[in-house]
Amino acid sequence: MSAQLAADDRAESIRMIRDSAAAVAPPGGDTKRIRALRQTLPGFDAAVWRQMGEFGWIGLRAPEALGGAGLGLAELGALAEELGGALAPEPLVAAGISTALLAAAGAKAELASLLAGETLVLTAWQERADTLAAPGTPDASRMFIPFAAGASAFLLPVREGAELALYWQPAGAGLSTEYTYDGGHFGTLQPAPARKLADDIGAVLEQALDDAALATSFYLLGGAERAFAMTLDYLKTRMQFGKVIGTFQALQHRAADLKMQLALFRASVEDAAAVVDAGASGAARQAAISRAKVRAAEGAMLITRQCVQLSGGIGYTDQYDVGLYLRKAMVLANQYGSAGLHRRRFMATAPEGEE
Amino acid sequence: MDAIRIPPPAELDALDDEHFRQVVRAFLHTHYPEELRNPPKRLHWSENKPWYFKLAEQGWLCPGWPKEFGGLGLSPSKIIILTEEYERYGVARCNDHGIVMLGPLVIKYGTPAQQQQFLPKILTGEHIWCQGYSEPNAGSDLAALRTEAVLDGDHYVVNGQKIWTTLAMDANWIFLLVRTDKTAKKQEGISFLLVDMNTPGITVRPIINLEYHDEFCETFFDNVRVPKENLVGQLNKGWDMAKALLSFERIFLGSPRQSGYALSRLKLLAERMGVYEDAVFQESYVRLRLEFEDLKALYETYVAKLKRGESLGPDVSMLKVIQTELFQKITDCMLEIAGENAGLLEPMEGNRNLNATGQFIQARPASIYGGSNEIQRNIISKNVLGMPG
Ligand SMILES: Cc1cc2nc3c(=O)[nH]c(=O)nc-3n(C[C@H](O)[C@H](O)[C@H](O)COP(=O)(O)OP(=O)(O)OC[C@H]3O[C@@H](n4cnc5c(N)ncnc54)[C@H](O)[C@@H]3O)c2cc1C
Repeated sequence: MSAQLAADDRAESIRMIRDSAAAVAPPGGDTKRIRALRQTLPGFDAAVWRQMGEFGWIGLRAPEALGGAGLGLAELGALAEELGGALAPEPLVAAGISTALLAAAGAKAELASLLAGETLVLTAWQERADTLAAPGTPDASRMFIPFAAGASAFLLPVREGAELALYWQPAGAGLSTEYTYDGGHFGTLQPAPARKLADDIGAVLEQALDDAALATSFYLLGGAERAFAMTLDYLKTRMQFGKVIGTFQALQHRAADLKMQLALFRASVEDAAAVVDAGASGAARQAAISRAKVRAAEGAMLITRQCVQLSGGIGYTDQYDVGLYLRKAMVLANQYGSAGLHRRRFMATAPEGEE
Repeated sequence: MDAIRIPPPAELDALDDEHFRQVVRAFLHTHYPEELRNPPKRLHWSENKPWYFKLAEQGWLCPGWPKEFGGLGLSPSKIIILTEEYERYGVARCNDHGIVMLGPLVIKYGTPAQQQQFLPKILTGEHIWCQGYSEPNAGSDLAALRTEAVLDGDHYVVNGQKIWTTLAMDANWIFLLVRTDKTAKKQEGISFLLVDMNTPGITVRPIINLEYHDEFCETFFDNVRVPKENLVGQLNKGWDMAKALLSFERIFLGSPRQSGYALSRLKLLAERMGVYEDAVFQESYVRLRLEFEDLKALYETYVAKLKRGESLGPDVSMLKVIQTELFQKITDCMLEIAGENAGLLEPMEGNRNLNATGQFIQARPASIYGGSNEIQRNIISKNVLGMPG
C-alpha cells in the first residue's frame, strides 16, 4: 500500500470515528444529560458506557488479538475530541490506562468485560498531586481517581523490589469520594491488593499515563472548540449600543487571538498523536506529549475563561453552557500532569534545537 | 493582643498608623465571629448579619463616611490598613451596597430629609440595599435601560425588569435607575429612585452562578408604587449621579481587597503544595507581589483625592482594571500550582484558606461587573486619552 493510500485510509477511519461519536455526542446536542449527571455518583451513565463498549471505543487502542481495534492515538484523539465537545462524562480516557495494563498482563477475561463496557476497571496509581510517577508504595492511599465510585475493580501498581507489580482489587471497601467542579468526583482508595496480575508493568504504565495525558488534551480541545463556537455565535447576535457586539474591534481582535490559540492547540495535539503513531519511543515520545499537554492545559483555560468574559453576565451563570466548559477545563487541565510539570519534562526530554 | 485598648470610633482617625493596625487586630480578635472566617462563598444576610450588627454596634460599619454622618472618617492610609487586616483575618464581606454605594451617593446628592431618612438605617442594619441597574438588554449599554417610572399623583409607578441584581433576595431596599422620559436622548431621560422591596408588585428570582451559588437575581417590577420623594437628585438627571456612583463602585472594586486576600492565600497554597521555595514559583510570585504593592500605591492616590473632597475622573477606571486583572492572575496561579486540587468543588482538605477553585471562580466576574474591563478600556482610551471616535 502506498503511503498516500495509507494516509487516506487513516483519514477515512478518523472520519468514521467522528461520525459514530455523534451517537453519544450529537453535534449541536443539548447538555441536559450532562447536567442531570452532575454531582451524582457514579456521575456517568452505565448504559452509555456499555454502548461505548459495543461501538468498540473502549478497546480502540487494544490489540486486535485481544478483542480491541488496534487503532492509534490519532483515532482515539478524534474520539476524545468529540466527547469533549459534548462534555460526555463517561470514563473512556481513564479506562484506557487499565486496558493497556490488562492487555500487558494478559488478563483476557478482565479485559474482555471491560472492553464490552460491562465493567469499569480503573487504575489507582497516584499517591500525590501533580505527578506522573507511580511509586507503588504498598500502603499509600491512592488519590485523584476520577469516576472511582463507578469502578467494579481497581488495578493497583505495587512496588516489589525493582519491579512494579500489578494487583487486582475488587471495588467495595476503602473508597471515599469528593466532588469536582464539573460535577464529577475523585476517589481516594486504601490499597487492599487481592490478586496479582503481573510482575512488572512499570514501563507500560508510564506509557499509558502519557497516552491518557494526550487523550485528555484532545478532550480539552473539543471543549475549547465548542465553547469558542458558542461564543462566536453570541458575538454575532448579542446587541448593545444599537449594534451587534461583534462589530466592536476590541472583541474582534480578542476572537482572532483565540482562534490563533485554537489553531496552535490543534496543531500541537495532532502532531503529538502523529509522533506517537509513527512509533516514537522514549524521550521523543515524552517530549511530544508534554508539548501537547502544556498547550492543552493553558489553551483550554485561556479560551474558556475568555469565553465567559465575552459572554458578560450570562457567562457567569450555571445555566449557560459556556461555563460548563470552563469548569471541565479546571478539572482536566492538571490531570496527568500540569503545564508546569510538562514544561519541566519537555526541557528534560526534548532534543535541543539545531544550532 | 488583649492588652491593646480599643478607643471609641471618633478617636480612631487620630491614632498613628501602626497603632491603628494593632487596634484593628485587637478589634477583630475580640469581635469577629470565628465561624465566619474565610467563607468559601459570599455570605447571605442570614449568615453575615451577626458581623454587620457587631460593626454597627461598635460604630465601625462605615470607615470611609465622614464622621458627621456616622462614619469613621478615616484617612486613606488607615482605610488601606483596615482592608489589609480584614483580609489577613479572612473577614467576610457584608451586604455592603448601602455602605459602599448608596450611602456615599445620598451624602453627596440627597436632600437633608433623605439623609436623615436613609443613612441612620444603613448604620443600624435596618436597611439592606441592592443595586438595580442592569437589564437583560442594558448591560454594557446601561443607558439603554427600559424599566420605566411614570408619575401618578404622589407616586411613581414602576414597570420593568432588572437582572444580575446581587443579593437582591437579602435586601429590603433597592436603588434603581429608571426611565422617566422616553422622548429625550437616552442618557437624559433617566432618574434615580429608591424603592422599598416590600412594596407590592416586586418579584425576586435567584439565579445560580458559576460557583453553584445563588448570589444574583432577576428582579421584576409590576405596577410598583413608589412615593415621589424617593427620587434622588433632579428628575431626568439620574445618569450623572449614576456615573458618579459608578466611580465610588470603581474605587471600591479597585481597592487591593480581593488581590491582597488572594495573594496571601496563594502563599499558603504554595507552601502546602511544597512549591513555595521553587524558583519557578518564586518568579511568578514576586511579579504578583510587586504588582500588588504598586496597585496599593496607586489606590492610595485615589483615596487621597476623595478625602480632599475632589471628585474622581474617568481615570479611576484604570484602578478597576488593574486590580481585577491582578486578582485573576493570582487565582490563575493558584490553579496552576494546585495539581488535581485545581478541580475540587470544596476547599482542599476542608481548609478554607486553601480554596483555590472558589477564589478562581470568584475572580472571573470581577472583569464583568461594575462596568466590564472592555468598557473600562473604552473609557480610558476615549475619556482619558482623548482618542477619536
Ligand atoms: C457577578 C455579577 C454581579 C453583578 N451585580 C450587579 C448588581 O448588583 N446590579 C446590577 O445592576 N448589575 C450587576 N451586574 C451586571 C453587570 O454590571 C453587567 O453584567 C455588565 O455591565 C455587563 O453587561 P452584560 O452582562 O449585559 O454584558 P454585555 O454588555 O452583553 O457584554 C458582553 C461582552 O461584550 C463586551 N462589550 C460590550 N460592549 C462593548 C464595547 N462597546 N466595546 C468592547 N466590548 C464590549 C463586554 O465587555 C462583554 O465582554 C453583575 C454582574 C455580575 C457578573
